[in-house]
Amino acid sequence: MLQVYLPVAEISVNLLVMLGLGTAIGFLSGMFGVGGGFLLTPLLIFSGIPPAVAVATGANQIVASSVSGALAQWRRGNIDFRMGFVLSIGGVAGAFAGVLLVGLLNRLGHADVFISLVYVMFLGVIGSLMLAESLRAVWRTRAGKVATTRKPGEHTWIHKLPFKMRFQRSRLYISAMPPLILGVIVGLLASVLGAGGGFIVVPAMIYLLRMPTHIVIGTSLFQIIFVTAVTTVLYATMDRSLDVVLAFLLVIGAVIGGQFGANAGQRLKGEQLRFLLAFIVLAVAIRLLIGLLVPPADLYSLGPMVVGP
Amino acid sequence: MMRRALALLAAALPLALGLSVAAEEQRPELVQSDISMREISIQSNFTGVEIVLFGSIDFTKAPSPDDGAYDVIMVIRGPNRPLVVRRKERIAGLWMNGASKTFPSVPGFYAVLASRPFRAIAPEETLEPLGIGFANLDFGKTTEVEVTDDAFRESLIRLQQERRLFQESDDAISFIGRSLFRSSVDLPVNVPIGRYTTQVFLFRDGKLLSRSQSSLQVHKVGFERVVYMLAYRHPLTYGLLAVLIAMSAGLLGWTAFRRE
Repeated sequence: MLQVYLPVAEISVNLLVMLGLGTAIGFLSGMFGVGGGFLLTPLLIFSGIPPAVAVATGANQIVASSVSGALAQWRRGNIDFRMGFVLSIGGVAGAFAGVLLVGLLNRLGHADVFISLVYVMFLGVIGSLMLAESLRAVWRTRAGKVATTRKPGEHTWIHKLPFKMRFQRSRLYISAMPPLILGVIVGLLASVLGAGGGFIVVPAMIYLLRMPTHIVIGTSLFQIIFVTAVTTVLYATMDRSLDVVLAFLLVIGAVIGGQFGANAGQRLKGEQLRFLLAFIVLAVAIRLLIGLLVPPADLYSLGPMVVGP
Repeated sequence: MMRRALALLAAALPLALGLSVAAEEQRPELVQSDISMREISIQSNFTGVEIVLFGSIDFTKAPSPDDGAYDVIMVIRGPNRPLVVRRKERIAGLWMNGASKTFPSVPGFYAVLASRPFRAIAPEETLEPLGIGFANLDFGKTTEVEVTDDAFRESLIRLQQERRLFQESDDAISFIGRSLFRSSVDLPVNVPIGRYTTQVFLFRDGKLLSRSQSSLQVHKVGFERVVYMLAYRHPLTYGLLAVLIAMSAGLLGWTAFRRE
């Protein structure tokens, strides 16, 4: 019923399952205000899409969700374009390196394990941190204490670096090096994981660059557009692993799901949301880890011989 | 005049008929065959297709339809391509791909159909050079020398069978009358595109009497073809188009649902 043949992945998938997957990811990203790519790629892998295709197609899907997210933030004046461009320059360089790495590992037959392993590490660490933080926040609110916030104007080693630039929107006068390096790391991760990397760049911008919180989300979404767009084109040209039909199905679902998710998210408290997201993130990490540890049903696998670019 | 001509004809006719019957008995059997479809188009709703192969034996010497003197084997082959077989090994507690073997030319599709178990039709020495049966397939010279066991080859055949890309089917060809026969084969959803060949072999008493060959083309059409051509021939355009589609979808989603 309603089988759709994916021309690049060369498999047949159920139209409703893929639309549903896109909607679920859109719902979660609308609810939690995250890109959702770090959940989409593992879920695509679980549903039988080859990991290389899942990563490339995931990146393509995030272009859509970050464009609508960034537009909404832009209307509220929450984007620091200068910071966004500096991050994007680093991000594009990182994406290039990431695509080359995945392509090389794919030819050696190790891309699947590598992508899963990086995911287990990142989702495990971030999920645990979020879980601990949200539990502390719940406990604090119960105890009747007010959550502490950072002191403004605090200076760290970051502010002593050379090549200073003025970022007006963020009210910062700092070296261009930290955002550039941060961009490279995010680009690398985004291209290997097929995710936007918002879960790395947002905390880094708040805690390392000391950017005002309301500017962070918009700026992060803005640079994610560039990084995922470049990642998509690079995978299409160097790896031939982008499936536009699959991406389109996911995008349609995500656009619809995102709207319902945003409504649902407004009915939950911040720490409840973070607890729920932490739980989902950890569950995906554990499922991926099990896949790496449990002896496979079939030791042998077939693959096309991938020739280098 | 008329009468003379008729008399001549009456005298010549039995002679001519007799000659042709004699010729038929002396001439060797010839097998002819064809396929129900010369072209198979893959569209987005493609879920596989059944093709019918049929043929006939000219100058048959079978006295009756149920005589069973002749055996027919059909081989359908898809375009060759290289495949890598990988074996998972436990490394530092994790299951990852370890040893691998590359087979340079594996048929993308391979099916053997026979009128009865094909190993009973002809001896192995006859079947081997014809490439009949999985065991007689030549996948080309493998590059890796350190892997010597046949487990990789066996796994390749087993995995291709699970994907329905390799099929062996005895008693799949049925005779209709003295000389006509037919069979059918299922091409699954994952069939590779390209030129397929079908070979039909006619045997009697374990000896190859005649063979016939035809071909069919499997290709993508319409939207599938456009996507495939873009992805493999113009990957830059394809990538940029994918980004453009995603950006427009994002823009559309934002304008359709914005609450401002």
